[in-house]
Amino acid sequence: MERESSSNNEQDEWSASECGFNDPEVQRVMRGGSAAEDITQYPIHGWVDVTQEFHEACAELLPGELAQDMLFGLFEAMSAIEIMDPKMDVGMGFDKFDLPPPSFEAAVAMGAIKLDALEPAELIGIFDALFACLVSWLEGNSMDQVLFTCLYLHAPSQIQDKALRVFCIAVRNLIVVIKNIIILAAVNEEEDFQLYGNSALLAAEKAQPATIAGQLKDVEDELVRKCKKLPPAEDQNLMAVVHRLRFMRHLFQAIYQVELMASAESAEEAVNEIYKNLNVASELLPLIKRTIERGTQPVEGSEAPNPMGFSPRIHDRSQPPTFPRSIKIRERPASYQFLEEMVARFKYACKVIRHKDYYSALVSSSWLSSGILFYLSCLLQNFFIEYSRKSGHCILSRSVLQNLFSSSIRVAHGKQSMKRFLRHSVQAFNSPPVLNLKHPVASDPKVQQHLETFFRYCINMNTFNQFIRLCGFNRARQRDKLAHLIENFDPLQVDAVRLDSLMNQMANERAMEGNELHATALKHSTHFSTWVLYNCFRAMLIYLMSGFELELYAVHEFLYIYWYPYEFLVGFLVSALTRTENILLAQEEYAEHQSKMQVNGGGGGAGGKSRKAAKPKKNKKQQRPYRQEIIYYHALLSLCGGMYKAMGALTKDGRVRLPMSKFDNEEIRYNRRFAPFVPLTSPPPVSYVEFKSIRDHMMLCSVEELYSMAAKHFDQARNVLESIQNPEQEILDLLQIARTNFVVMNVLARGHQKEVKRQPEFDFSKHSYFPIMKLK
Amino acid sequence: MNETMQNSPEISYTVFNNEAQLKAVQSLIEKELSEPYSIYTYRYFVYNWPQLCILARHGERYVGVIVCKMDNMDCPGMLQGYIAMLAVDPDYRLRRIGTTLVEKAIDMMIAEQADEIVLETEQSNKAALRLYDSLGFIREQRLLRYYMNGVDALRLKLILPWRSSNESSLT
Repeated sequence: MERESSSNNEQDEWSASECGFNDPEVQRVMRGGSAAEDITQYPIHGWVDVTQEFHEACAELLPGELAQDMLFGLFEAMSAIEIMDPKMDVGMGFDKFDLPPPSFEAAVAMGAIKLDALEPAELIGIFDALFACLVSWLEGNSMDQVLFTCLYLHAPSQIQDKALRVFCIAVRNLIVVIKNIIILAAVNEEEDFQLYGNSALLAAEKAQPATIAGQLKDVEDELVRKCKKLPPAEDQNLMAVVHRLRFMRHLFQAIYQVELMASAESAEEAVNEIYKNLNVASELLPLIKRTIERGTQPVEGSEAPNPMGFSPRIHDRSQPPTFPRSIKIRERPASYQFLEEMVARFKYACKVIRHKDYYSALVSSSWLSSGILFYLSCLLQNFFIEYSRKSGHCILSRSVLQNLFSSSIRVAHGKQSMKRFLRHSVQAFNSPPVLNLKHPVASDPKVQQHLETFFRYCINMNTFNQFIRLCGFNRARQRDKLAHLIENFDPLQVDAVRLDSLMNQMANERAMEGNELHATALKHSTHFSTWVLYNCFRAMLIYLMSGFELELYAVHEFLYIYWYPYEFLVGFLVSALTRTENILLAQEEYAEHQSKMQVNGGGGGAGGKSRKAAKPKKNKKQQRPYRQEIIYYHALLSLCGGMYKAMGALTKDGRVRLPMSKFDNEEIRYNRRFAPFVPLTSPPPVSYVEFKSIRDHMMLCSVEELYSMAAKHFDQARNVLESIQNPEQEILDLLQIARTNFVVMNVLARGHQKEVKRQPEFDFSKHSYFPIMKLK
Repeated sequence: MNETMQNSPEISYTVFNNEAQLKAVQSLIEKELSEPYSIYTYRYFVYNWPQLCILARHGERYVGVIVCKMDNMDCPGMLQGYIAMLAVDPDYRLRRIGTTLVEKAIDMMIAEQADEIVLETEQSNKAALRLYDSLGFIREQRLLRYYMNGVDALRLKLILPWRSSNESSLT
């Protein structure tokens, strides 16, 4: 039932006073003039006795029946709390022997927390617990119920122990920086991350992120000097403290630099700086993980992540009035594991963004090297998609990538960043001569005007920008947003087709004028429409296949889901890429031909120059820039075909549980699944009737034939995948899927397990798009 | 399942019709669902839509219940049925009581011209997913960390034929 969404809306409205400012003294002051609002005195006049009417009205109700106000709806009913029911009433967690959870001051007064001369083991314990809280916060828990259960964070300036004080200040600053990054990236959703929290506590001491690294470094140096004075066997615990401080310093610096990049001058320098810090941080993590045992450990059965310094229930009473949520703070090893993976993702993001300076390189490079450029551009697009899969729930990882990307294109392109990004994206994809600034046709005013209009339209539609942003959202939201994005491709397609035909029209005009160079460059243009289509197809494919990852498809639906990419989508992608590759090769050939003519005809310095340029061309020509991707899609095509036919065979063989209900309607299900594709003109929507006739035709084959056909597809996939040199992990995984399913299909084709018609298990653990089929 | 149960009298189904049944509804649901619901939530449903609260009874014992509502709050102009809770006593599983309860509720909602029927269920609740899959529901959306225990939900939907024909005639 609904709950989450309604309760969270509420949080936006929490004021500072409600967010944990539960000091009665403060509250009294904040209320101000409270005598006037004292409810026992209000209203003073105009009381009417309704006891009689009330009893009469009650008599009309049945036992248990309630009078319901118009405005009392499901949300109100569900938010109502039954007082003293431990499942609903937070206060019931305390029994009468419980003392109120100690505040920082109370804990100090009781002597429950030390402020000075902490043992190294105590510091390790607190630091590790704080990292665990940080991770739990990033996983979507409320800041108050994880981080701010640490009393030391409430008033670090009162801590005398320097290492602890500086570490706590660093954590507080890190909270502020992380919040800024996430707000800036704006790819968070209520289920990912809780932005709101104890702002009053946080505001009590000013954030000064620029000073953190220096402060941490000072303490480290001090402790290292202390270490040196200790006998060799006794310095180990202190070194473990130093490692944690150092890790915090580098992690902090890396994350802080990401925030600063939004206003940095040079993206490259900033990314290098981030990368360096991440490297050190990741080298420290194994040392830290090995010394977790040296710290004080949480008491078994206690909710506190560390014996000293935490007051787990301190904010329970200041939470929004919803049912108590169980808060689980991650265990220490698992938290460091999380941080290790997060740091690795940040490093990966930096690597690609660093490469990505190809945008600026692109402007100066000639269209002949488009192969490499295309490769890089694909790398970027695929990378965003891939990265989103890997970072999954980690909101910070996703936000960091968005910030790195937008900062670096801003730095690379200045004010017109998006227009230039799009131009380069087309240029990298299929290198239309009109976008090559060195080509004379690019300066044709009419061409320029048309291009300007087209790109302005693209920018206004915001579709490409959205596509990249969308990869930053969590996977479930991504799919919902993709459904809307896809329809935006339609007007772009229309406009791109128009632009291409304008180019062709102009080719005729220029030919009539006898300008062969321009005419050739403009002729047969399908550059822009192919580029838009290619992106649209990819969005469609991701949309469809993400349903597997999110477990949205019932097994009996697999058949039409795999059928569509097999019959249409992947084929479209292959043909778009093949067409583009052919255009590119033809252009290169033409250019080579031109330069040969120049060499033969022209003399002097110019000739020498073009001869130099002609050399590397030969090598370029051999490399077919799209080859890798085309092969990949060929493999995908065979795998989809294999799955489609396998599902056909299994269904006909009676091994798929089909809905047998009078309510089921396959046509409705089919239409719903492909609904986001309906607004598109290209590819045209495929009706259920068309699908049904194709499937029914296939189903005419015998079960054995169907299994064999499926096996053949998997075998083809295997062949294609094996031809890939230096395969990445994904290719190896797909290969294993193809091989296993090939065997399973053959086994079934030979009539194995004929008596027991059980539905196979579909195991998606190797790849999110394709399962390994397992017979039980 | 033991023999006495198989030979025992039929399961009978009744709609909610008196306050005394509320305790049974509550105790069946509380045993089965992870989320706590206040008494107001139960009353909100059973008194606004008593006809959509159906109980399964074995002799004197209540062994299953479905609680639903139907309105056009989410999408004006469209009548949406909503299955809020479904629970069957563990001793009475595998007897199609759950399926029967859902079918009866859907029949009732169809009789009242519902355009679609939706519900949420825990993503890990294989039994529920199987039940609704078999009835023709599609899993429309994944809702991350939807429940208070942090588990994801799936939003399921059954679109009824007249609604989709209305839609296609509009487009």
